[in-house]
Amino acid sequence: MISGVAMVKGGLAVPWAIAMSLLVYAGSAQLAALPLIVAGAPLWVIVATGLITNLRFVIYSAAIRPYFADRSLGRRMALGYFMTDFTFVRFMRSAQEGSMPGAHRDSWFAGVCSSNWITWQVSAITGIIGASYVPTEWGLEFTGTLALVALVGPSLNARPAVVGAIVAAAVALFTHALPFKLGLFCGALAGIIAATLTDAFQKPEPPAPANATEAA
Amino acid sequence: MSDPVSGIGLALVILGLALSTLVTRTSFLVAGARLRLSHRAEVALRYAPVCTLSAIIVPDVLFHGGAALDLAPFNPRLVGVIGAALWLSWSRNIVGCLATGMAAYSLARVYL
Repeated sequence: MISGVAMVKGGLAVPWAIAMSLLVYAGSAQLAALPLIVAGAPLWVIVATGLITNLRFVIYSAAIRPYFADRSLGRRMALGYFMTDFTFVRFMRSAQEGSMPGAHRDSWFAGVCSSNWITWQVSAITGIIGASYVPTEWGLEFTGTLALVALVGPSLNARPAVVGAIVAAAVALFTHALPFKLGLFCGALAGIIAATLTDAFQKPEPPAPANATEAA
Repeated sequence: MSDPVSGIGLALVILGLALSTLVTRTSFLVAGARLRLSHRAEVALRYAPVCTLSAIIVPDVLFHGGAALDLAPFNPRLVGVIGAALWLSWSRNIVGCLATGMAAYSLARVYL
């Protein structure tokens, strides 16, 4: 719903916002791409932003791959496309608890994903159509930023992530004047490098059990 | 407000973004065992989301669309984000986080 309201408030025409919601189906990528679209940034910059924002799904797809290795290519692609943060977490939890029927895990996953898809699309389209009845003065576009805060908050649980976030923010602030939101790339890249270095520095060898409590 | 954005360019953007969703979500599912990432690349990928989001959020809060930094402690967006962060420190509930953040943001805009 937030992405729906934000898209229309950002200046997207209603049918296009609906098409985007149905096809892209990635709230954070849509929110991140929105200011670039409105500013008329080049296509590759917008798609690159989408790719970067969606990078976490690369990790998700690596994590669920073992469970679906024997399924057909078409089925794997369909399951992957409809996977979201929420369905991924649900799937991994059930898979690890063993509360999922092994032989039918693709059906199980498809069920979670389809109900999630319907809920998400209904609320997104409600937001798109309802956006014109919401006054701009309410500052509802700020919910987009808050949604990103909610997404990032739980990840700040380890030192490399915190270091990366701080470096990313600082570099993004200093490079803010660059065109096409390139400051975002500079910040993200610098943050990733800083986090990776911190990670390597923190455990130069594979983690020993004795260090685990200290690092936490 | 300017005219709503639409047209062929936007259609291409939507297709491109849809492709970015498909490619990232199916990457390992499709490439499977053929795609091998080094340990370092895996570590870097793990921190990509938090760094990207931080690089999006912080300038958005401190510049809020203008060209000048707004470091005033009563910048309503800053107040809103702090409110949301406080909520997140004791609950993962996203709706509560949005509600707290918006409440703090609105109060700050009205009273500060």
